[in-house]
Amino acid sequence: MTPWVRTVQVVPVVLIAIVLFGQGALSGLGVSPVLVTVGILIVIAVLVAGVQFLAWDRLTYWIDAEGDFRIDSGILTRQQRRLQLSRLQSVDVTQPLLARVFGMAALTVEAAGAGDSRASLSYLPLADAQALRNEVIARSAGMKADVGEAPEEPLVVVPPRDLIISLLLRGTTVVLFAVTVLIVVTTVFTAGTAGLLVLLTGGIPLLIVFGEFTTYFNFTVARSADGLRLRSGLFQIKSQTIPPGRVQAVEFVQSWLWRRKDWVRVRLNVAGQPSADDGDGSSESVLLPVAPYDVALDVVKHVLPGVDLRAISLSPAPARARKRAWIQFGRLGVGHDDRVFVTERGRFVSYLAVVPHARTQSVRVTQGPWERALDLATMHVDSPPGPVLISALYRDAGEARAIAEAQNQRAQAALLSDPSTHWMRPENPPAPPTEEPPTH
Amino acid sequence: MKISVDQAFAPPGEGWVSVSPKLTTARRLVLVLVLIPLLAVAIIVLAVAGQGLIAGLMALGGLLLLIYLWWLIGRRVRSFGYVEREDDLLVTSGILFRRLAIVPYGRMQLVDLVAGPIDRSMGLATVQLHTAAATSDAKIPGLQPEVAAGLRDRLAKRGEGRSAGL
Repeated sequence: MTPWVRTVQVVPVVLIAIVLFGQGALSGLGVSPVLVTVGILIVIAVLVAGVQFLAWDRLTYWIDAEGDFRIDSGILTRQQRRLQLSRLQSVDVTQPLLARVFGMAALTVEAAGAGDSRASLSYLPLADAQALRNEVIARSAGMKADVGEAPEEPLVVVPPRDLIISLLLRGTTVVLFAVTVLIVVTTVFTAGTAGLLVLLTGGIPLLIVFGEFTTYFNFTVARSADGLRLRSGLFQIKSQTIPPGRVQAVEFVQSWLWRRKDWVRVRLNVAGQPSADDGDGSSESVLLPVAPYDVALDVVKHVLPGVDLRAISLSPAPARARKRAWIQFGRLGVGHDDRVFVTERGRFVSYLAVVPHARTQSVRVTQGPWERALDLATMHVDSPPGPVLISALYRDAGEARAIAEAQNQRAQAALLSDPSTHWMRPENPPAPPTEEPPTH
Repeated sequence: MKISVDQAFAPPGEGWVSVSPKLTTARRLVLVLVLIPLLAVAIIVLAVAGQGLIAGLMALGGLLLLIYLWWLIGRRVRSFGYVEREDDLLVTSGILFRRLAIVPYGRMQLVDLVAGPIDRSMGLATVQLHTAAATSDAKIPGLQPEVAAGLRDRLAKRGEGRSAGL
């Protein structure tokens, strides 16, 4: 099946290329351009199909005796890839629109490590992809391969209405629309050519809103024994499984226009390099595109068990920090409990970052010239690459160092008592396999 | 120069281990090797084009820049320091933008020892630590090769004893 899906994907590209660039050349030949186009298309399609078929034929994957995930591939250059499933970070099953038509899906397995530490298989029949997903997760949890699918319990479904409103209510969208209106009005009165700017100020935010809407459409968070399952997409459906304990840091983002509804977006740092071929990579780090804070807290409880964020009191920055940060001064805070470290920053868009002590890689204290003049310093917690930055901005210099040293102590203590990487204990197996709920 | 006992960047206990003063020489050498040819080309081009005044001003400006950077390199090299504690390594650097990193041995994923051609000719090496976080990279330049190798081996050994997953 895979060669066919890939071939069909190429057809429109070739067609457009011929129509765009080939017209002039074709009309000079005296042959019907339609005939030539169809001819070229068939030749290219056969070539692509041939190459794709070979590629598919030479690709093998298996799980070896040591429990590593192996992929051998390549026609001329052979590539052998081996992923340690004990270092598994997340598993994605993606269905691009066309693959969906054929009932196929791509599977991406990501392990922790620097550089390229992921393996992709495209395309497999959806059922096979899901079965492989389950096996990979079960093995990484240190269980036998044949436990089947862990049952899942839906936690949240983001209503499309909330999603679209939240996207329109973002600061950048609103400001750009306001500018658009301003330009339209001035163009009407002055009959200038500034109207072209409307395409930029009005069109781009609309595209962004549309893009995010299709990506996060029907966003569903479900809980199961093998981790949190995230599923979303209008045209392309993506389902992601995040095993528990693999979340490195969590962040609640609130745009100033969301405050009335108490909406937040939740983002994650999950270890493993964000891949270049994913483009923005933003979709993989979102735990919830939009939800009321209470709902978000409930979901986050599943990735950070035993943490009550409401119970953590944040201590504000000293009064003189206002001179360094006169806009966000009122929203600077830092706090901790026995499991996590929390920082808050940002006025118009506020960020509440949470990092478990056991996931603190290292700590830093920095001080710029202005901070120095005010005897302030900033303390940072280093987390694997991702959208979440953990910074306690503009503390008293001595306090910043004290926070850093204390967090370092907590991190090291947590490191010693860190639970093993095999989180599903054999004496507590999940319920027997059940039917996979219908995918959208 | 005012030596302030800054609370945030104070060394733990016995004080910072500073890096070799030879690093100052190495960096000044690089400065001269880069800046002088650049300035010379610009000044000659301007002088040939008949812009004598601008060429003269440029020569003066270049000289001042050279003196300033010469002085700055001395301060910057003195600002590097590190301390090996029982469970972690502290690294500090910077004058205008100061920085202090605390990296637990258990979090180190790899330790690099790097030496460029000028560093090698002067008998210097850089030790660089990596954790799973890209931001925590801590660099200690200007170490004698045997000091650097010793440090790397100690760090690697301690890391092994304490290492954990992510």
